[in-house]
Amino acid sequence: MSLSCIIVEDLQVAADYLNRCCEKSGQLNVQGLFANVNDALQYLNTTSVDLLFLDVEMPGATGFDLLDQIAYTPKVILTTSKPEYAYDAFEYNVSDFLKKPFTYQRFLDALKKVSQPVSQTTDTVTETGIDHIFIKSDGKLIRLNNSDILYIESMGDYVKFVTMEKKYVTHNTIKNLEEKVSKLDFMKVHRSYIININKISNIRESGLYINGTEIPISKSHKQDVLKRLNII
Amino acid sequence: MIVYITKKSNIYFPMANETLPKQFIFNEKLDADYLFSLYADDYEYIEEVFFTTLQHFDQDFDSLKLAYENEILADLRKAIHKIKPTFGFTGLLNTQQECKEFEDKCAAVSSTQDLANEFRQIRNILIEVKCVIESEHIRLKEFNSNPI
Repeated sequence: MSLSCIIVEDLQVAADYLNRCCEKSGQLNVQGLFANVNDALQYLNTTSVDLLFLDVEMPGATGFDLLDQIAYTPKVILTTSKPEYAYDAFEYNVSDFLKKPFTYQRFLDALKKVSQPVSQTTDTVTETGIDHIFIKSDGKLIRLNNSDILYIESMGDYVKFVTMEKKYVTHNTIKNLEEKVSKLDFMKVHRSYIININKISNIRESGLYINGTEIPISKSHKQDVLKRLNII
Repeated sequence: MIVYITKKSNIYFPMANETLPKQFIFNEKLDADYLFSLYADDYEYIEEVFFTTLQHFDQDFDSLKLAYENEILADLRKAIHKIKPTFGFTGLLNTQQECKEFEDKCAAVSSTQDLANEFRQIRNILIEVKCVIESEHIRLKEFNSNPI
């Protein structure tokens, strides 16, 4: 396995160390080192990579700003010296969170998480009909009618299916679900959300509303959302 | 018979046909075990880490001083946040912790004027550790250039 990656890090000694870890692993092809978000974004607009090593606090913009702006979703390993960002990392569905400085062994552990085959998470949702899906939750296969699902929210290695009556948590990823439900009335509007387009009550500048809950729309998905709506 | 002393346990293991590895004794202000956990005994790379750190030290330190002089609290916090992990990479874990405490204080106050004493302390600490890093870099350079 060889994954393409870039390193976005403003501290030179940390970027060098990370680059060294990547080379030593023999599993990564480092395509570039960037000291700020803008330079990284310029690169990512023309070249896709499998994995981002991403610092959070950098001059001008944060690593989370970058994640909001890229048009696709590579795997992400956050590298920061501030553990307080762990919650945001979880919200952005990153694969792992490395607190600087980290050992080579810890780096390899993070890499293992990225390298886990998608098949490990694909059996928790089964598309069995055009109007319903089955999900594995609490040790059972549960039928959910598409029309009952309001939205699906990422929770790191898990996702939450939200219906009017109940919430179901299952081991899966938004990325994997996006492929499974895209033929239905669902669409990804943010790296952490897939929504049922029939359930949108209104859309504002900041996001869309479903059953009183505000769901963020990322810049990269906004046009696609508007195209799917029946706007007169 | 040649004996080999393991870095971690100090247990003697006889290793036939092996030469005794060169050991660099770090300044006691540096956490040698921590440096070993990051770089093992790759002293050439450790020299490079110290060199890179020194290359950027003044610029990062100036950003910190400038933010304080201009009384821009957000920039002061960003500057200390940026330089903080440098000290982890160079084994100066106490300094890294002191930077973290200063960063936390930056987040807790409303003005740089509330940090006059703390800033003086962290400035003096950084001036002092720069000398330690410089001195260790020189020693590492000599150590690595000496084949035996």
